[in-house]
Amino acid sequence: MSTFNLDVYMPVVILIALALLVAGGSILLGSFIRPHNPNKLKETAYECGEEPVGSAWANFNVRFYVIALIFIIFDVESALMFPVAAIFKKFNQIGLGGTLLLSILSFTLVLVAGIVYCWKKGDLDWVKSFNAPQVNVASKDK
Amino acid sequence: MNSTVVTYLAQSNEYSAVVAWLTKLIGFNANSLVAFMVFAVASLVVVGALATIGGLGTYAERKISADLQMRQGPNRVGPYGILQFLADGVKMILKEDIIPANADKFTFILAPFLCMVGVFATLAVVPFSSGFMLADLNVGIFYLVGMASLVGVGVFLGGYSSNSKWSMLGGMRGASQIISYEIPATITIVSIVLLAGGLSIKTLINGQGGLPQQWYLFHNPFAFIGFFVYFIAALAETNRAPFDLPEAESELVSGYHTEYSGMRFGLFALAEYIEVFVVSGVAVALFLGGYKVPFDLGTGAIFVEKLGLDAMIAKNIGQVLELGSFFTKTFALYYVVIWVRWTLPRLRVDQLMTLCWKYLTPIAIFNLLGCAVWMYAFDGKSIYSIIFESAAVVAGHH
Amino acid sequence: MFTNTLFLLSAVLTLGGAAAVVYTKNLMHSCVYLLASLFGVAGLYACIGADFLAATQLVVYAGGVVILMLFAVMLTGGSGNNINRYGLEKITAMGNTKTFFMAGLTAVVTSLVILKILASVFKSHSATVLTANEATVDKLGTLLATDHILAFEISSVLLLGALVGAAVISRPRKEKHD
Repeated sequence: MSTFNLDVYMPVVILIALALLVAGGSILLGSFIRPHNPNKLKETAYECGEEPVGSAWANFNVRFYVIALIFIIFDVESALMFPVAAIFKKFNQIGLGGTLLLSILSFTLVLVAGIVYCWKKGDLDWVKSFNAPQVNVASKDK
Repeated sequence: MNSTVVTYLAQSNEYSAVVAWLTKLIGFNANSLVAFMVFAVASLVVVGALATIGGLGTYAERKISADLQMRQGPNRVGPYGILQFLADGVKMILKEDIIPANADKFTFILAPFLCMVGVFATLAVVPFSSGFMLADLNVGIFYLVGMASLVGVGVFLGGYSSNSKWSMLGGMRGASQIISYEIPATITIVSIVLLAGGLSIKTLINGQGGLPQQWYLFHNPFAFIGFFVYFIAALAETNRAPFDLPEAESELVSGYHTEYSGMRFGLFALAEYIEVFVVSGVAVALFLGGYKVPFDLGTGAIFVEKLGLDAMIAKNIGQVLELGSFFTKTFALYYVVIWVRWTLPRLRVDQLMTLCWKYLTPIAIFNLLGCAVWMYAFDGKSIYSIIFESAAVVAGHH
Repeated sequence: MFTNTLFLLSAVLTLGGAAAVVYTKNLMHSCVYLLASLFGVAGLYACIGADFLAATQLVVYAGGVVILMLFAVMLTGGSGNNINRYGLEKITAMGNTKTFFMAGLTAVVTSLVILKILASVFKSHSATVLTANEATVDKLGTLLATDHILAFEISSVLLLGALVGAAVISRPRKEKHD
């Protein structure tokens, strides 16, 4: 078994600890000196002066979820591309650039096909029923 | 250990003397201990400096916006109002801390912390100079992308936990915007990694030179477009105008931090301003030659040669020049970010998504393929050297 | 020294996060704890020198999957309503004695099996060598571009399938009467 010299990760741990310290410290420091007199009205959520109606935790639109799904697919794609991109220069210098270029091209083009499909089918449009009323408005203007 | 601040200091004799002395004192190898202390001090310096830059960022924002709108801006606290950010900090600490009764307390408290952790952790790989850099991780730029994505979680949780409709809408928009624009940014980074042949920030910068024609910005046309793709995506990722929909005050009051008051709000703001600095720094490192100084002044070798200075002193002078180079370029970009905010109107939410998925992402993929083809076709030469060489060949013929 | 600290921190984060995910009844909170757990796993990867894997864990899981889960929870209206439209509690079976017992039993059996496999590794450990933290990206890239080129290419087809699938399930159902 071999262990690795992980000293290079020290700053990461220190910085995360510092972030928590700075954030926690400034809030804690304030708690000694800031006023604290809550009342019921103060603790309601802001709704432009009206009393809040219902909870904000409603069922949300599915399109946010789809964005996240597509995001993960591209995230994985870039995670796969990073190591191949990192060695491209080296491979190019020893004359294997052509094969690597072909594999990158085919990898990417398959995904481009996916984007083109989604685009054509209208899945990349944010407001899907946006076009229909617009046509009506235009015809009314005539 | 890759070249970090510790490696830089280890070049001097005093460092090894301290290590040897401590090893004698405590009885085991003190290399790691000294490294830890150096890292701790350096991290404190970086965090202190960046917190000040973040604070001054809020001042610069108001002063520049005032300038653009022919107003005075803050001018009461200190000369030219420069101490305004300290006054703001004191005010935020003194403000009453209100947590809405219907809020989800656990996530409400956690959200600003997540933003802070996400932003501060990215500071580890920001290349201030060749010697002053906390950690040159082998996966530097990829690590930065990963850590920065924590901010999205923080923004979402901040919006969710408040249990206010404005916050909820802002949080959902913010999170979906941050993750959407991460795609073009990451793919553009891949294309630069392809040019440089490595993921560590040092490798990325060492592929470039101090003069503009040696930058990746002017390496090939695809990288040139890539810079703008990255810059736009970075603006959106940091929720800056014209992409500040999560906190669009005309429709969402204040977006995901509507219910936050006092220091908790301050932490969100601080994280945002530091993140703007970090993404500007990354843009500089990727495209604008990073900390490189023209004519290799940064290594300090020329001072030893011409002026006969001590090697270590010459190196230190080189480091200062590199710091100057990095900060000048980064602050220039920082200015552009603020300038853009007060110039362009805000996008609508469907335009935002159209811009990301129908323009930036296809362009970024096109750039990636273009960079790969360019690398293959021209053996990784930049457009400048190709023109220069062909000009030399033409001149040789005549 | 620092290696041990990093390992301990990551291990505590991973196990503590995982335990909290199971323990809490609030879906949002369990997502947050899952984030901590995944973060800890990234630290564990870093401990064994797999730096690229650690960063991938951060990018894909901490950044992507957790957001996806948070959005998925929001599809159901967050954790505010634990009662579904039929008036039944949504998460009945979570966190009672039966599930804890079953989970504990599964954990014991799984760890015994894993320990049995790993026993040979533990017995044959040689002296610890402190190696430099070298880049795994190049090795990974070389393998992906040479020996495992087929896997690399097929993964793009897999991603294409996922992309099309995500698009199809999100499409609004065509109304018959429209």
